[in-house]
Amino acid sequence: MTSPLPQSVSSFPRGHEFPPATFSISAERVSAYLRAVGDEGAYGVSVPPLAAVALGLGALQERISLPEGSLHTGQEADHIGLARQGEQLTLTARIAQRSERQGFVISVIEFEIAAGAGTAVRARTTIMAPAASA
Amino acid sequence: MIERPAPVVRTITQAQIDAYADAAGDHNPIHIDPAFAATTPFAGTIAHGMLVLALIGEVMFASLGERWLTSGKLKVRFKAPTRPGDTVTASAELVKRSGGMAEFAVQCATAAGEVVIEGRATVADA
Repeated sequence: MTSPLPQSVSSFPRGHEFPPATFSISAERVSAYLRAVGDEGAYGVSVPPLAAVALGLGALQERISLPEGSLHTGQEADHIGLARQGEQLTLTARIAQRSERQGFVISVIEFEIAAGAGTAVRARTTIMAPAASA
Repeated sequence: MIERPAPVVRTITQAQIDAYADAAGDHNPIHIDPAFAATTPFAGTIAHGMLVLALIGEVMFASLGERWLTSGKLKVRFKAPTRPGDTVTASAELVKRSGGMAEFAVQCATAAGEVVIEGRATVADA
């Protein structure tokens, strides 16, 4: 994914849509992920859904920076279909909710990862970031 | 439908956190820079929430297989940080079956009993 410098998550208004981005998750990246989390499950050529979410969040960090003091407070993931290792994936994301409370901006990033066969995963990530970083 | 999938128990290490940061592309210093993390309210590094959440994914996949991969849903809150050295137990318990879906209460808790992740997982019923 190539993009301008990332901006603080709290600077994006509700409804902001990020341009779609394409990326792939190689077998080597899946192996590295599974080793890191200690999962020895037999996923075959599939990308484990939470790996797709985690790597999708990693890809989003090319657009969205998390300022010091940010907290990942919630996560949702809907597994719709299988993404295969190495296949081209399309990531679309938007700011679904934004609110301010006690000096923090609470942003909900909604994103979808689509594979060749259609949507693989839909996810919602809740981030609390210091309001001063907006 | 299995009522209590086998839990996963794992001790989170800084090496594991570092490996996860590389694998996921998330190098936030709160996770990987002990000197920086010592200056924060956490007073030390903490694991990525998604790293710890992966233990719940492992519990569910081990019990439900491909059904989890193609119909699973997770909704969780990260309630407290997990620190290097913490031994975490990820568990799930069936709480409801209706409308063709089975719903599990899921959590990750430290050996000290602190719940660090809590929420629900649903999957198509068998």
